[in-house]
Amino acid sequence: MKRALASFTTLVLVFPATTLASTVEGGEEEEKFDPSHEWLLHDWIPIHLGPVNLSITKAVAYLILASLLTMLIGWFLMRWKLGSDPDNRQTAGEWIYEIAQTQVAEQGLPSKAIARWFPYVASLLIFVFVVNMIGFIPLPLSDEKFTIGGVELPTLGIYAATSTLSVTLTLALLTFVFTHVEGIRNNGVRGYFKSWIPEVPKAMYPLIVPLEILGQFMRLISLSVRLYANMLAGHMLILTFIGLIFVLENVFLAAVAIPFAWAFYLFEVLIVVGIQAYIFAALTAIYIGSAIEPEH
Amino acid sequence: MNFAAILVAAAEDGADAGKAVALALGIGLGALGAGVGIGNIFGSMIQAVARQPELRGELQGIQWLGFALTEAVVFYGLIGGLLAFVLV
Repeated sequence: MKRALASFTTLVLVFPATTLASTVEGGEEEEKFDPSHEWLLHDWIPIHLGPVNLSITKAVAYLILASLLTMLIGWFLMRWKLGSDPDNRQTAGEWIYEIAQTQVAEQGLPSKAIARWFPYVASLLIFVFVVNMIGFIPLPLSDEKFTIGGVELPTLGIYAATSTLSVTLTLALLTFVFTHVEGIRNNGVRGYFKSWIPEVPKAMYPLIVPLEILGQFMRLISLSVRLYANMLAGHMLILTFIGLIFVLENVFLAAVAIPFAWAFYLFEVLIVVGIQAYIFAALTAIYIGSAIEPEH
Repeated sequence: MNFAAILVAAAEDGADAGKAVALALGIGLGALGAGVGIGNIFGSMIQAVARQPELRGELQGIQWLGFALTEAVVFYGLIGGLLAFVLV
């Protein structure tokens, strides 16, 4: 009986929404919902240096926010008011530090390179995590506007800067450059490029050498596309499930679509965000480590 | 509608259908391979922990690394499918 009552009240509450939705649709020009519109970047503050476009877009705004937040986390948890009797805040900071050290840096980097490369790897871990995480918190940073009392405000939206290929490719390029610079610095040009080629009979060289060179560039692609596609697919799934209600114009679909969207949201926030940040930092450490000390 | 008009319409729809098939094949075949791979990783992890529970901590890092490397295969398929969908 109770259950029937609950579903009945839900239905009653849903009905005004249908009428509201239909009036809005009648009032506005018909605009098809398309999830990919979320990834169109408009210049908010145009900055053009010749052919180089440095405009502030949605992704740039998210990146600036994430950088500030990363610095704040580092300062607040690991630099501010540290004592020998740690409180919760300091314990959290030490926990992050320990993960960065034992799980990421020591997995890949040889012990002589940890002092130099730990800061980079640890900040990558925290930065990628923060960028991914604020991508799942609804923030008033979107291109859609709505008005309350004559004031035009941006609607809340979720968007991750890492779901654009440019951002992840830049991060991967940094790792790519550092890898080869460190490899050459430690082993010399000849020694480093020689270490790419495994020990095989000379006759195999024409086959192996192009593959190994290609492999080095595939690392760049796999590192960037892994993060990019993970975040893109996560946001696309959530958007598509909620968008189904508007595409098929059926409010009752919300009963199915919203729980599914929530399930994917929780999956992304609890698992994917952390794992991808960890993987990105750990692979960076492994790549740099393997260039410093080649196995053969 | 004469036969030629039907053929023209079919050709246009055929291109759209081809795009849809490309996208679906990309993500579908990617998911097929990654599903097998991820199952393998977690299965091996369960066996390993059942045999030597004290190694759990050490194995967990490797497990998540392997999981993410395998899972990325789905997204290569997805990106390939999206490329076919958008560019062609």
